[in-house]
Amino acid sequence: MGKTLKRYLALTRIGIMEGLQFRVGPFVLFFGNLIYLVIIYFLWKAIYASSPTEIVNGMSFYDTMIYLVLASALFSAMEMFVTWWMGRSVQTGKIVLDILKPMPYDRYMFFYFSGNTVVNFCLTLLPTLIIVYFVTHGGFALSWNLLFFAAAVIFGTIINYQINFIVGTICFYTESVWGINIMKEVVVMLLSGATIPLAFFPEAAQRVMYMLPFQAIYNTPLTLLIHNDLPMSERLILIAQQILWAVVMGLVSKLFFKVSIRHITVNGG
Amino acid sequence: MEPVITLNDVSKEFKVLKSREGIKGSIQNLFSRDYKIVNAVNHISMSIDQGEIIGYLGPNGAGKSTTIKMMSGVLVPTSGEIRVNGLVPYKSRRENSEKIGVVFGQRSQLWWSLPLIESFKLLRDIYQIPQKEYEDILAFYESIVDIKGLYSKPVRQMSLGQRTLSDILAAFLHNPPVVYLDEPTIGLDVSMKSKIRDLIKALNQEKNTTVILTTHDMGDVDALCRRIVIIDKGTMLYDNSIENLRSFFGAYRTMKLRFTKDASMLTKEYLDAQAAEITKDLAAKYPDASSIAVSVDEDWIDVLLNEDEIPLMKVMNHIQEQRKIYDVQLQEISTESVIKKIYEGKM
Repeated sequence: MGKTLKRYLALTRIGIMEGLQFRVGPFVLFFGNLIYLVIIYFLWKAIYASSPTEIVNGMSFYDTMIYLVLASALFSAMEMFVTWWMGRSVQTGKIVLDILKPMPYDRYMFFYFSGNTVVNFCLTLLPTLIIVYFVTHGGFALSWNLLFFAAAVIFGTIINYQINFIVGTICFYTESVWGINIMKEVVVMLLSGATIPLAFFPEAAQRVMYMLPFQAIYNTPLTLLIHNDLPMSERLILIAQQILWAVVMGLVSKLFFKVSIRHITVNGG
Repeated sequence: MEPVITLNDVSKEFKVLKSREGIKGSIQNLFSRDYKIVNAVNHISMSIDQGEIIGYLGPNGAGKSTTIKMMSGVLVPTSGEIRVNGLVPYKSRRENSEKIGVVFGQRSQLWWSLPLIESFKLLRDIYQIPQKEYEDILAFYESIVDIKGLYSKPVRQMSLGQRTLSDILAAFLHNPPVVYLDEPTIGLDVSMKSKIRDLIKALNQEKNTTVILTTHDMGDVDALCRRIVIIDKGTMLYDNSIENLRSFFGAYRTMKLRFTKDASMLTKEYLDAQAAEITKDLAAKYPDASSIAVSVDEDWIDVLLNEDEIPLMKVMNHIQEQRKIYDVQLQEISTESVIKKIYEGKM
């Protein structure tokens, strides 16, 4: 077991090193986020200004902003270019070399990308959390919620990876990446609560969204972080739901990949 | 001895969408279900022993890479049976991959932005190579090529030759019984090519590794392979030793001629015209000698002929009666010309 883990952690390690090679990357990401947040600030200011009440859908402007700042940081930290990478490797034929590694392709990819995610967490998410905490004078509590948040982020990352992997597998059939990747991004951003808090959707839509895996990626960790008043049982249920999604999506992606790998016709034969 | 690789009547078909031309055709392509079947590999059989270096040759698109991909377990054959190290590669892909190494031409399995040694370390961990063996093989590498200086160099800063060298070393790192090298010397300069040949030879001898080598460079073949397999359009044309191949053409000689010592006269047009004249002349004189072929090779005019058919001296005498020969060289047929003749279907 320890030995097996070692070979996977070696991939994480190389991912971290690669992530750190592009020193400018995280700063550009951080800066880009800042611009995004300025736009978001004015947009939501306008929305709240046009509302007769200070509280919209149970959230004040202040709540919404904290949510969105954290959501955008979480989004950039968890963003994985798995789909992109898979599509590219199908097009260039490099996938042959990855498939011929002595470990399952999905796990190989997960641990490789996990390294990059670790870098992003340290360089984008952590600073943002600290800044938000101090700017809002304790906008979120420093308590058990942090522990739940950390766990939820890990499971969210896994679910996010699996969705990316499934979409990446579709590239085996289409041999194009761009359109599929954009579609995935839009769907995930909208349905996960990464751009608009779920509370702002109509109730019927919300019910559907809570039945989909996407909200488990961003909404669950953010809920666990911000709402420190949640009862323990509810927190555990949220985490359990995530685990359930991780297992389900894991099975789906594994099965889909297994079927698809038979279909591959690697380019440039 | 049990062969390490066996292919038994292996075929591979691809379903390819028929493409239409122009914008209208491109739009139709979107909805087309009009597939055609391409036979990339047709009923190929061979068996390869441990420690052999096989030159796997064929023109572009002959099906070489497809065969290698089937042998490595990436592609599933449409029919026939493949066994490598006693395993069916595509069924036990993971187990098989621990026992093979691959280098695919211009694709690299190294980690682009990191120093080379990090790629090696990662491969050590994922192939679970014991530290002692890992150190031994690195020491062995250092004894045959000058690799130490490259350890700390990021792969993306390497020259193509250095990268290919590193890729080959990476493929041999876990000491697999079988290594597939798909066009490893493509695009390299002469000295790097010979370095890589020496390296492959040394690895093969030291580790008794079976090497399947595809290449277009006959220098690779001459330097490394005792046995060659030639395929074209998916069909196997030849599977035997190089000597045997040469013996087919043993009576073939190339006579290299030059008719002037003035180098400025040796323009392409001049030589081509001269070659055409000689062709006509010889065809008229020896209408039965179908083997005679005249071509231009740099500053020389080459006359290729089969001595069983017509003695070389006779032809030379005849040419000399027509014009003054300034310089002459005689050569045995090269592997390259032999292969070319096979590709052209003259065997």
